[in-house]
Amino acid sequence: MDEKVLTRHFGVEGVFRIDVYRGQGGYAAVEKALKQMTPAAVLDEVKRASLRGRGGAGFPAGVKWGFVPQNIPKPRYLCVNADEGEPGTFKDRYIMNHNPHLLLEGIIIASFAVGIHAAFIYVRGEYEAVTLRLEGAVAEALENGYLGKNILGTGFDLDVAVHRGAGAYICGEETALLESLEGKRGHPRLKPPFPASVGLFQCPTVINNVETLSNIPFIVQNGADWFIKKGLPKDGGTRIFGVSGMVKKPGIYELPLGTQLRTIIFDHAGGMKDGKQLKAVIPGGMSAPILTADEIDLPMDFDSLAAAGSMLGSAAVIVIDRETSILDVLKAVVKFYSHESCGQCTPCRIGTAWINKIVKRLARGEGEQDDIDSIIRLASNIKGKTLCPLGDAAALPILSICQKFRRELEGYLPHA
Amino acid sequence: MSPEYSASLRRKIDEVVARYPKKAAALLPVLHLVQREVGCIAPEEERFVAQALELRPMKVREVVTFYTMFLRRRVGKYHLQVCSNLSCSLLGAGPLLDYLQQKLGIGIGETTADGRFTLSTAECLGACEQSPCLMVNFDYHGQLDREKIDRILASLE
Amino acid sequence: MPKIFVDDRMVEVAERLTLLRAAESAGIPIPHFCYHPAFAPEGSCRMCLVEIEGLPKLELACSTIVKEGLRVRTMSPKVVEARKGVLEFLLAEHPLDCPICDKAGECKLQDYFEEYGLFRSQFKEAKEKREKKFKLSRNLILDRERCILCTRCVRFLNEVTKTEDAGILNRGIHSEVGIYESEFIDNNYSGNLAQICPVGAITDSDFRFKTRVWFLESKESVCPLCSRGCNITIDSHPGHPRTVRTRRVYRVRARQNPDVNFHWICDYGRYGYAYLDEDRENKLVWKRGDRETRLSWDEAAQILTEKIRSLVHLRKNSRIGIVLHTNLTNEELFLADRLFRKGLGVERFFLADPPPGKGDEFLLTADRTANRRGLQEVGLPVQGADLKALSGFDLLLIFGHYLAAATSPADMKNALDKVETKALFASHKSGLDSLVDFIIPVPVIAEKSGTLTNIDGRVQPFVAGLDFDGDGLPEWRALLDLAKELKVDHKYFSPLSSQEAVYRALQKEIPFFK
Repeated sequence: MDEKVLTRHFGVEGVFRIDVYRGQGGYAAVEKALKQMTPAAVLDEVKRASLRGRGGAGFPAGVKWGFVPQNIPKPRYLCVNADEGEPGTFKDRYIMNHNPHLLLEGIIIASFAVGIHAAFIYVRGEYEAVTLRLEGAVAEALENGYLGKNILGTGFDLDVAVHRGAGAYICGEETALLESLEGKRGHPRLKPPFPASVGLFQCPTVINNVETLSNIPFIVQNGADWFIKKGLPKDGGTRIFGVSGMVKKPGIYELPLGTQLRTIIFDHAGGMKDGKQLKAVIPGGMSAPILTADEIDLPMDFDSLAAAGSMLGSAAVIVIDRETSILDVLKAVVKFYSHESCGQCTPCRIGTAWINKIVKRLARGEGEQDDIDSIIRLASNIKGKTLCPLGDAAALPILSICQKFRRELEGYLPHA
Repeated sequence: MSPEYSASLRRKIDEVVARYPKKAAALLPVLHLVQREVGCIAPEEERFVAQALELRPMKVREVVTFYTMFLRRRVGKYHLQVCSNLSCSLLGAGPLLDYLQQKLGIGIGETTADGRFTLSTAECLGACEQSPCLMVNFDYHGQLDREKIDRILASLE
Repeated sequence: MPKIFVDDRMVEVAERLTLLRAAESAGIPIPHFCYHPAFAPEGSCRMCLVEIEGLPKLELACSTIVKEGLRVRTMSPKVVEARKGVLEFLLAEHPLDCPICDKAGECKLQDYFEEYGLFRSQFKEAKEKREKKFKLSRNLILDRERCILCTRCVRFLNEVTKTEDAGILNRGIHSEVGIYESEFIDNNYSGNLAQICPVGAITDSDFRFKTRVWFLESKESVCPLCSRGCNITIDSHPGHPRTVRTRRVYRVRARQNPDVNFHWICDYGRYGYAYLDEDRENKLVWKRGDRETRLSWDEAAQILTEKIRSLVHLRKNSRIGIVLHTNLTNEELFLADRLFRKGLGVERFFLADPPPGKGDEFLLTADRTANRRGLQEVGLPVQGADLKALSGFDLLLIFGHYLAAATSPADMKNALDKVETKALFASHKSGLDSLVDFIIPVPVIAEKSGTLTNIDGRVQPFVAGLDFDGDGLPEWRALLDLAKELKVDHKYFSPLSSQEAVYRALQKEIPFFK
């Protein structure tokens, strides 16, 4: 691709400082939105741009914004989901570290479009350096009149606070994030009602991922049509793919939606490391069902991956080589979800722990004949039955591994 | 006997609380501040925070025990958290963890006798492009191998 | 009123109900653990998942609101499989404690397993080991291995008592219910926690290991220990061999009444049932000097009637004094008024009641009698128990043993020795026993039928739940018998042959009771 969008300024030294960022044209989108457009016009443009959520669920951002009722006498809130807990994902860390002002611009424009005057950036607790950088950027933006009261003299007020999480993957789920922001355990809420009507402190709330919001300034500056051309008609823009695992060049790669997975792994990420052979790929963060080495000839967009029985998710590509035992992969998957289960609902709390116990036993060489069928049965009893999507996030990968790599897993059972 | 908390901590707490429409919402950031100063969140700290935010101590403990970053007991001067998630495992986190245990002479969850190092595992740290990774307190170190681990440990007094 | 289809059956249900309540109202139960009608839906047990036509995933019955035309299946293969799944998960980490668990026989996990499960366990791993005797309060013990984390207990303490004593600690499979340090639960409603726990996780040491619930007979009654009139269920051993105690009542539980006590009773009422069995009067005796003769009621009634009649002939009606209490039923107070005041012209009525206590802001009232409002509405004029006045009577009919506490035994003896004839109608032994001539045992509220009027003016009918073992009889029957013997107001009293008939008369004559 000829022109980067989100990562455009990553190479510019010091662009996390507002003076450098402005020198690169930063905050021009805020000026345009607040001074030349109406909130409705901004909302419209974002809707037309077909910007789908970059956190994992892929819900269209403009549609989500449109759900927020405008005529209720309660404050509205924006929560920026910077929890980035999906294993394999690190793109938001890059954005916040290298270009925090880009995110702030997106926050300001989004808040303007929806009539929001208080935004919280929920950053995962481990990102301490990122938190400091964000706080610095917020202070600079405030000093320079892009935050606070009467921004750029337009009468629009907005306060942004950076809020640290404390080590819980579940807090990346939007309703658990709200609970955590309210100072409670990260227990997801029943939906309906949805956050757009009953969210933070029971007020209408928009929750958007860091990367999603970072696209907003570009949509405002260049228009929806431009954005769509960067990607696909129903899936506008670029994505920052994060590649990790057994590749030569792990890292972030900003590419148009629809780029082939094979291209991402073998061209951009340099192919397999140390001459190893490809065994499997997890295409969209650990919660995305696994693909075999034969299944990587597909475009990386929401619909194509869904059709292939997986998901684009957080666009985190984890590359697994043939020397790695699939049991070790399963072990890591199952250990993770069991550790991160919030414990509220029966199937996830007990199911993930039970599967974890079986897999650990298998790994100790104490497997029994029906173990794989048990894992499949238990994962099927979790799937679709839990209070929040973590249940499916656990069950689908487990089921895909057991289904696609059954033969190899059976090698760990006692021989009949 | 209730411990003394510094005036600067109390000031920071007030600043943080002011950012939220409800006091209780400041709980996580406040716990981070207290843990940074005290080293852990023991019952005394729970009560202190509960009082500052007008919460029952039980609510504080519910939160402290839910989130992995809040420690109920002090750890060593350097808390080494080795990522044990998938990308890091693929690139050898397991053997490196064994190496660390052997080199420090402690198991997972334990602290060296001189109080310098505590060793834990962590789930995905969000730095998978640098696998295998560990955090020393909150400093990220990636692309680990034995030599790099040796260098890191040597640099920590 | 929306029309919905439950398992192909059309049902018309109230608006804005959840599917679970709507199905229940149509007689179709949907299994659940965490749902409780007193709290907002929790949605965490996942047991109430049902199939709704047109929706791809199973939905929670406890939180789905009914809509016109909704079609739901509660027993389709998908639903049955989901239920088995939840049961399997719960039982996997549940200890096999049934043989030693108090909840056996009234445990939802057992009940649902029998109805929806009946599979062999396929759990081969080591179960999580947890604390099995964690003290929650003076009476309550938490077994964390049995706990299914429905959070009803936590929500009760947050939303009903608002004491916020309990919470959930840790995360995932390590989640557990806890309290803060040793700040034990200490409020007047803690006993409800053992009742709402769907399994045997929270047990009550008052009941622990005492008996098995299938030996118990459950009867409905009304609690008489204060003027709230909470609806209760009394669990007793009818005739079965007593295992630990000699008493027959093992437990009192809250019974739902949305207008009086909702789903709760206070601990004072819950644990205060010893009076039902302890220190009961059961022999009807006539004492003359050193002699104590056992009589039947008919015999005693004849003697008493004689004495009353002779005083009336001598126009000494004013020499008859009546001591009452407000644990008498509406019917009994009404009959006392019509017989003694209207019929016999007795002028002085005294009130001797259990002393008041401290009320709380919820159910327990300061007034520790059941029917003070009933007395007010019947309109019988009473005065406080005045020893000097009492000593001036020739005949005293004392209802209730509460007079004994009015003063010192010596002063009481002094006063009562001056009265020629004293008849005591009491349920419990007291210091009065040695001071009176006639002791007529009477049943307690749980052992008779009638109506009571609570502090809010609500008239509550109740029916005898326990058998009355004594020689005596309910006060209302005694009063009717005396009326017939005395031939007072024959036309009025003779049609009154049952407690219901008395109540109908009461309703006819006093507008409040209509």
